Amino acid sequence: MAYNIPETYKDLTPAEQLDDKTLNKMVWRSLFLQASFNYERMQSGGWLYGILPGLKKIHKDKDDLAASMSHNLEFFNTHPFLVTFVMGIVLSMEQNKADIPTIRAVRVAAMGPLGGIGDALFWFTLVPITAGITSNMAINGNIAAPFIFLLIFNIAQFAVRIFLMKWSYKLGTNAIGILTENAKEFTRAASILGIFVVGALISVYGATKLDVQIPNGTTNEVRQVTTIVASEQDVSKYDEFLYKTNDDGALTDEFQDGAGVTVLDSGDYEVIFNQYQEKEVFVDIQEILDGILPQAIPLMITVMLYFLLTKRGWTPLKCIGLILVIGLIGSGFGVWPSIWP
Amino acid sequence: MDYSILQVLLIFIVTFIVAIDQFSFLESLYQPIVTGLVIGLILGDVQTGLVVGGTYQLMTIGNMPVGGAQPPNAVIGGIMATVLAITLDLEPTAAVATAIPFSILGQYAVTLIFSLMSPMMTVADNYAHEANTKGIERINYLAMGLLGLIFGIIVTLFFIGGAAFGAQVVAVIPEWLMSGLGAAGGMMRYVGFAILMKVMLSKDLWGFLLAGFGLATIIMASPALSGPALIILAFIGFAIAYWDFQIQTKFKTSAVSSGEGGEEDGI
Repeated sequence: MAYNIPETYKDLTPAEQLDDKTLNKMVWRSLFLQASFNYERMQSGGWLYGILPGLKKIHKDKDDLAASMSHNLEFFNTHPFLVTFVMGIVLSMEQNKADIPTIRAVRVAAMGPLGGIGDALFWFTLVPITAGITSNMAINGNIAAPFIFLLIFNIAQFAVRIFLMKWSYKLGTNAIGILTENAKEFTRAASILGIFVVGALISVYGATKLDVQIPNGTTNEVRQVTTIVASEQDVSKYDEFLYKTNDDGALTDEFQDGAGVTVLDSGDYEVIFNQYQEKEVFVDIQEILDGILPQAIPLMITVMLYFLLTKRGWTPLKCIGLILVIGLIGSGFGVWPSIWP
Repeated sequence: MDYSILQVLLIFIVTFIVAIDQFSFLESLYQPIVTGLVIGLILGDVQTGLVVGGTYQLMTIGNMPVGGAQPPNAVIGGIMATVLAITLDLEPTAAVATAIPFSILGQYAVTLIFSLMSPMMTVADNYAHEANTKGIERINYLAMGLLGLIFGIIVTLFFIGGAAFGAQVVAVIPEWLMSGLGAAGGMMRYVGFAILMKVMLSKDLWGFLLAGFGLATIIMASPALSGPALIILAFIGFAIAYWDFQIQTKFKTSAVSSGEGGEEDGI
């Protein structure tokens, strides 16, 4: 069945303003934007579902409603949390019975820049910060953590959705101009904040440490020994520890460093001397790395993954595979000790 | 360990709801920090649920459905990590890593649904041409139901199977494998960070990444500030970003006015 979407609506008299109840109903429905998400039209099914209450009020003529529904089922993809902004504009144009090609162009123009802005606001800023703080609370066993996360996230989400719907519907088509005028600068600023936060996250949550100890010969460790003996004969047992030897190997009268004999008030002798013990020495690689740059390993791994993703076109899945291999091989050689804080 | 029919049923219902929630509705109920608590509640170990949920959440930070990309599925991953940690008594980090294969399975399930729904758009077109609003609504409800069902079935099957056979499997797993999985689990978050960098990082923004990293390292050196570190850093980052926005917009307007011969840019 061939169906051609007309250029203009039959009934060109502007419809009544949509009341608050209908607008709120569409804010609620905007939550289901991605309900029938698919690779062909992406969010178009959910988009149409979202604006249906408004369209039904605007287009009393059945053919007009069919035309409007048909062109609103074309490819649609924008940021789920900011969709009400597009809804408001498109509905104000539908209500004024603008030409269908114009509505379509505005819809496509409006949905584009929102993706980056929404990602920057929600996925790169709000979620990492709230989820980061609350996950640490949860790991420490704080039962309030999930609720705090849900509360902050959803208050922000609904505030944005409701505000954008009312605001953009009121401003109509002009709203696109306001946002797109500085869209490039806004996206850049949002990216700066986002990338700054990512850099911070690498350091704050990077918890990979090396457990490589390289043997580095042996050293003599000094241990001070203090004993109390009853008589002078007993003291002489310790002569070899107390006195220096001369070139022939015979004992001299000179005390060794730190050695000494004192007569206590009780008449006992306190003998103090140093004993030397051989001990193996290790070079702790992590300690050396910390001296150069703390958290260098998380930074290096992240940057490596970044280049694999961008320059080599790796998929995230492949990166996860690589991480698994590194983890398992490293564990086989005993490289990773305490991965988690 | 044995679990009652009620617990199996509750796990199915919870999975059904959060599977839908990952794309529609509140888009926050499905986060592991929330599902960890809920699954912990159902299985009677809230504490483990919280810890695993928080641990998994840290891993998925940044691993968000950005720009339509499909990261390994946090819904199945988060639920299965909690289930594994509680039923098999795994360490939280090991449980998170063990759940990765399940999360990849979830990713396949999502891809399957998104592909299946593509031809359904032709049906939707016909409803639109007939101005059949009920039909459009039905298609959306159907797609959501399908998504919830597939996820519910996958998790329920693994829950029953895992409780029965998982313990024996885990007993066979050698020590180095578990510690390796734990290590890898700790590194998974770097993939999330790298994806974020891929989407946002242009050549002229590298300095901001290093600035964030450097400042965070300084702040984290003070134990007292390790808790509020991210809020402090967000303040600093906001100052830089806002300043850049002002400068960039000023540049633009001054470029426009100087093109018209105006002399009021006052720099």
